[in-house]
Amino acid sequence: MTGLLDLYDVSIRFGGVQALLDVSLHVRTGEIVGLIGPNGAGKTTLFNCITGVLRPDTGRITYDGRDLAGVKTHRRARLGIARTFQNLQLFGRMTVLENVMVPIDAFSPRTPVGDAFRLPTARFEERKAEERARALLYFLDLLDVAELQAADLAVGMQRRLELARALASNPDLLLLDEPAAGLDARETAELADVLFRIREQFGVTMLLVDHDMALVMRTCDHIYVLDFGRIISEGPPEHVRDDPQVIQAYLGEVA
Amino acid sequence: MTADARVVRWTAVGVGIALGVLIPAFLSNFLRSLASDAAIAGLIVLSLVVLTGLVGQISFCQYSFAAIGAFTVGSLVAGHHWEFWLALLVGVCFAAAVGVLVAIPALRLSGLFLAILTIGVALFFDRFLLAPGTWDSFSGGTSSWRPGRPSFFGIGLRGEYAFYLFVFGILLVACLLVWNLRTGKTGRVLRAVRESEVAASTVGLNLTAWKLTAFGISAALAGLAGGLSAVRVGSASAGSYDFLHSVIIAAIATVVGVGAITSAPVGGMFLLFVPEIMRAWTPFSTQWFPFVTGILLIFQLVYAPDGAVVDSERRIMRRLHPPAPPPTADDTATPERVLARTST
Amino acid sequence: MVLAGVSLLPGFTVIGIVLGGIYALAAIGLVLIYRVSGVLNFAHGAVAMFSTFVAYQVSVKSGLPGWLGLIAAIAVGIGIGFIIERFTMRPLTGRPALTKVVVTIGWLLVLQTLAGRIWGQNAYHSPVRLVSKSGFRLIGTSVVVGYDQLTTVIVAVVLALATAAVLRFTTLGASMRAVADDPESARLWGISVNRVTAASWMVGSAMAAIAGVLITPLINFDTFSLTLVVIDAFTAALIGRLTSLPYAVVGAGLLGLAQTYPRAFFNTSGVSEAVTFGLLLIALAVLFRPGARKLRMA
Ligand SMILES: Nc1ncnc2c1ncn2[C@@H]1O[C@H](COP(=O)(O)OP(=O)(O)OP(=O)(O)O)[C@@H](O)[C@H]1O
Ligand SMILES: [Mg+2]
Repeated sequence: MTGLLDLYDVSIRFGGVQALLDVSLHVRTGEIVGLIGPNGAGKTTLFNCITGVLRPDTGRITYDGRDLAGVKTHRRARLGIARTFQNLQLFGRMTVLENVMVPIDAFSPRTPVGDAFRLPTARFEERKAEERARALLYFLDLLDVAELQAADLAVGMQRRLELARALASNPDLLLLDEPAAGLDARETAELADVLFRIREQFGVTMLLVDHDMALVMRTCDHIYVLDFGRIISEGPPEHVRDDPQVIQAYLGEVA
Repeated sequence: MTADARVVRWTAVGVGIALGVLIPAFLSNFLRSLASDAAIAGLIVLSLVVLTGLVGQISFCQYSFAAIGAFTVGSLVAGHHWEFWLALLVGVCFAAAVGVLVAIPALRLSGLFLAILTIGVALFFDRFLLAPGTWDSFSGGTSSWRPGRPSFFGIGLRGEYAFYLFVFGILLVACLLVWNLRTGKTGRVLRAVRESEVAASTVGLNLTAWKLTAFGISAALAGLAGGLSAVRVGSASAGSYDFLHSVIIAAIATVVGVGAITSAPVGGMFLLFVPEIMRAWTPFSTQWFPFVTGILLIFQLVYAPDGAVVDSERRIMRRLHPPAPPPTADDTATPERVLARTST
Repeated sequence: MVLAGVSLLPGFTVIGIVLGGIYALAAIGLVLIYRVSGVLNFAHGAVAMFSTFVAYQVSVKSGLPGWLGLIAAIAVGIGIGFIIERFTMRPLTGRPALTKVVVTIGWLLVLQTLAGRIWGQNAYHSPVRLVSKSGFRLIGTSVVVGYDQLTTVIVAVVLALATAAVLRFTTLGASMRAVADDPESARLWGISVNRVTAASWMVGSAMAAIAGVLITPLINFDTFSLTLVVIDAFTAALIGRLTSLPYAVVGAGLLGLAQTYPRAFFNTSGVSEAVTFGLLLIALAVLFRPGARKLRMA
């Protein structure tokens, strides 16, 4: 079975912590796949392995059938993988507009020479990038704050800006690390709609990590549950919700 | 930026350029040569506007890069009778190449350790590479190179005013190019790398390539300054490019602020004219200049962290340019249509 | 020439060890300040230089005994350390490390210029002597060891051990380690972080002063060369990853020898600087490779 993203037996440990152990996970084109698990389960670590920020100790990750071993982070972005960050990694002292233009820049063929001499191609690319960035900001309802510094936004807007920036690189696969963290109930409900709209408009496949069960249950087609670095359950939302092992893992955390 | 603010900015730039051209016409040749040196030092400050302002990296070896430019021009023009322009080009490229080389460890090191490394580089140049006996065919050994003044499209640059106009013109062009870089993709990308490396790389930026590019550009600017100063002074000797010069220029760049292009001419004038003012009008000799710079540096970091020029520029701009009203969407190209067009 | 060089090696070993001992002192001060306050003090050499010139003023110029000069230098070193910390570092609490580093560069310029104006720039000065210049022959060899050289090594070793002991066995040392590990919880434990930080600057700067005075017989003693000792201290400290005192001392010894031996074979100027640069590069490359093991202080 090959989908858009496939992980086979991925493991990584940090000193004494086995953050991931033999994780296998499959995401098919067009799906929204959920990844849930208690704090410290290894969800963010998994994202870091997929984006190449961390290198797994063992295991294989393929994207669109292609083995990602040894592929650098920025190359993976070019292959169509984008992500948002749980701990918000915005370009703080840059404007909202600039934040969204950077990924577009990353894909444009402009060189410093073209920039320095303002060659016509550079001017054209600049206009195109700005137009597209503004369109994305409009899509995520951020156009009003386009000229503000990213660091000055409220958390809800910053989360949306993370989304806008991730979409700017035109990804096929979007990794969302707790996009609802810090949002209130209304914003979270809106987020679910935004995710559906994104899938509809951009045809993006998503892997969604969040602690908000309602959001995950509502949006995801398929859910994986991670606990202490291991997949302990997987299946459609109803199945996972009723799985005693999952309940155990979450209750164990509460207790 | 509002139209008003833009008018003010360009008027100010125009007036500045006009003054820069006209004032030296009425000065003594000595002061004109100082003005040339100030323009050349301005190029080095500009190299720090790129490196520190955009990438967030401090360097204490900019004068070592300048030395590469100076000694390349010196040895090629005076030693091998090359055409000045060709020698200058080689010098700038050579400096850029060394800049890239120095940057390679930078890819792994955080800012602090890179700063130490640049001191190491500066001392390696001063004390070893350019010392007599190490590489005399480049450094000229104990007798320093004496390259003559070039001519510019047939116009001789022997006169101090002509030469000043020449270097001032080069400074302006360099400032314009860096301005374009900063406002274009390059500036945006470099600032993104400075703000968050992990985010920059996950959106598709090749950190290695961009950092090397920034160091290369910065070193090239310093190399250009060096090549020009070799023909300004008419000689290239190691003492003019030592560690202390690099430290002082880094201090000045910090004091005037590395966030604005205007800092380049201002910083250059600071380096050359403040000592002159001290000598002429205060009881302190020019040798107190580094002391004054050090005190200013300490005070400004404790009290005005963005630098004097940036601070005052921002204050002026804020007065002229109250917070922008929310921009309205362009009706002719509705966002949906643009998305549909560009997202394929 | 090579043979002549080889015959010089035993004598150069002595010089290298002495030089290493001095670098060790400078590096210990640097590491102490860095560990406790998080500031990499680029003015460390300048502090050493300025204090040393005070010693020079007291003992060489005024003709008082060398040890009085040393005491004066230590006092001045402590004073400068205090001023730097109290008036220019403490107000910067919470600001980026790079900002603080640039402030120390400001101090470098200030101290450097001041010393240059008072005692003359680029001039050669006669060294501060604590002990007579005479020496003894190492038994069974032709190598002569000066009493001053012996004193230097002994002082360096004793101070290095003393610092380690203070850090390990005294309340001040325990507080310093606590602040170095985690200022926030140190505060919760009732430790006065400000006072401990100031103490580290004062002690570290005193070490710089001692190193400066001891090194004068070995180098061209002028304002600039002493200021540049900071780069030797950095190199030694980096070999200890800026955190480990024992490794910094080993690094200093290594550096002292590595700088000295080539002089037996080449007389090109700047060879020791080239060697320092090489070691600095190696230290940075090897010790800061991703995932290098973390070393602990003392
Ligand atoms: N770079 C790292 N170095 C050492 N340990 C790490 C590193 N990254 C993660 N860990 C450890 O790995 C484990 C998994 O962390 P991770 O951040 O992936 O959890 P998570 O599932 O994202 O949790 P949360 O829901 O809180 O975001 C934790 O024990 C964490 O401390
Ligand atoms: Mg996480």
